Amino acid sequence: MADLVWTSMADLGRMIATKEVSPVEVVRAHLDRIATLDAGLRAFITVCADAALQAARAAEADLMGGKVAGPLHGVPWAPKDLYSTKGVRTTGGSKILADSVPARDATVVARLAGAGAIVLGKLNMHEFAYGPEGLNAHYGDARNPWDSSVHRVTGGSSSGSGAAVAAGLAPGSLGSDTGGSIRIPASLCGITGLKPTYGRVSRAGVLPLAWSMDHVGPMTRTARDSALMLGAIAGYDPADPTTSVLPVPDYTTALTGDVKGVRVGLLRAHFTDVAAPEVRSAVETAARQLEQAGAIVDEVNLTHVAHVGPASTAIVASEALAYHAAWMRVRAQDYQPDVRERLRMGAFISGAQYLRAQQLRALVRSEIDSALVKRDVLLAPATPIPAPALGERETTLGDGKSDVRAALIRLTRPFNYSGHPAGSAPCGFTAGGLPMGFQLVGRPFDEATVLRVIDAYQRLTDWHTRRPPVA
Amino acid sequence: MLAPMEIGLEGMKRMAAAGGFAWTDAELEPIRPAVERLLDALDRLESLPLEDLEPTTQYRVL
Repeated sequence: MADLVWTSMADLGRMIATKEVSPVEVVRAHLDRIATLDAGLRAFITVCADAALQAARAAEADLMGGKVAGPLHGVPWAPKDLYSTKGVRTTGGSKILADSVPARDATVVARLAGAGAIVLGKLNMHEFAYGPEGLNAHYGDARNPWDSSVHRVTGGSSSGSGAAVAAGLAPGSLGSDTGGSIRIPASLCGITGLKPTYGRVSRAGVLPLAWSMDHVGPMTRTARDSALMLGAIAGYDPADPTTSVLPVPDYTTALTGDVKGVRVGLLRAHFTDVAAPEVRSAVETAARQLEQAGAIVDEVNLTHVAHVGPASTAIVASEALAYHAAWMRVRAQDYQPDVRERLRMGAFISGAQYLRAQQLRALVRSEIDSALVKRDVLLAPATPIPAPALGERETTLGDGKSDVRAALIRLTRPFNYSGHPAGSAPCGFTAGGLPMGFQLVGRPFDEATVLRVIDAYQRLTDWHTRRPPVA
Repeated sequence: MLAPMEIGLEGMKRMAAAGGFAWTDAELEPIRPAVERLLDALDRLESLPLEDLEPTTQYRVL
């Protein structure tokens, strides 16, 4: 049953509902694969084998009794290890929370359980989600499955989510995205990821990095699977006062495969034009493919995003230190060095500087909203480079040399800052066989159009169906 | 062009202490260049037309 681990969540749900396969078979196939490959990939921090099999047997019994919770009934998935899971440790990828066992599930974990989905285990991540490489000194660095000879980073901070979904250890995951932590590993690992609009999905029960920049969203191999997961988790939650009461649509009905008349703005300055040549070419080709399918493509420039870097760093560093202050006073030595240094930065931002950075947010958001008045989505690379090797410090972009970390988050964080929905999907491979991803940015609360365009693109191309050599 | 902002270790220690952090020179020196670059970049935000904008953190959608 090797193919079960490469079957989409949508197809697994259908096959389970029609009794073509049993949830126990599906869960066992994934657990077997985890047992075989995870020592090398280090995608999981905790594997919940017994609980997953128990849940699968219960799902099977419900099915035999005529009870189907929904399209994800019996379908396995795995959350990044910052989602609270009742009775299962939630480490945040840290030593500090190594033995922390929540008393209740995060809202989104409970919602997926209510939809019938089964947790396989908890996934690796950059410690406390504070890094775009996906490094972890406590549980090991997750390995990008697309290079079996060189240890390349998965991207982060949702590193285990990227590796596990790409390598067939789990068909879907929930990542979190404060500066690109869903879209960066999705791009570097060749999978699909969606950062919804700020307020679309509850953050209750999710360890924060920066309250005003954190987003929760799915990481899957297809847009359809992201639509299924988003439909299950989105919507108002009284436990998260920032969630919207706007109704949640059935995102799968938007997946028509048709992009005729959809207006796509290719982001040039600060985005496509600064990417490495292979990435730039792949994104430009994707734009042409969408155009040939009937989309109306033009080019657009955003100017205020040039200031997003320092402003978002000021916000994230301030909010992150506020959350970690008590531990940083007495357990600073228990953080991995890069995270400890980033947290310390927050001590040197004044209240006035923090609020100035929040003021600029309104300006940047307004500029992006204006670009979306006459366009349905904006297109850009998700990352300007493919997966760097572990330890690589410097890279070259279209506008000069850059620190690798700064390069990885450069194109994604403007949309954490603005709150717009943004989805990433694979759009090609480098000559060396590494995946490259684009991102599509939509209007606030219009995740449906973002998913619709990605789904249509995935019907035109096969990048998302390719399997990494580690697998 | 403005001169790059400089921040000394003593100044950093005072700011850290105000937040309740007793960090040493050895702990602060490695991040001093990054702090200076960040403060310098934040200083440049002062030239943007932000005076009529309220600080914003989320969409106000009911």
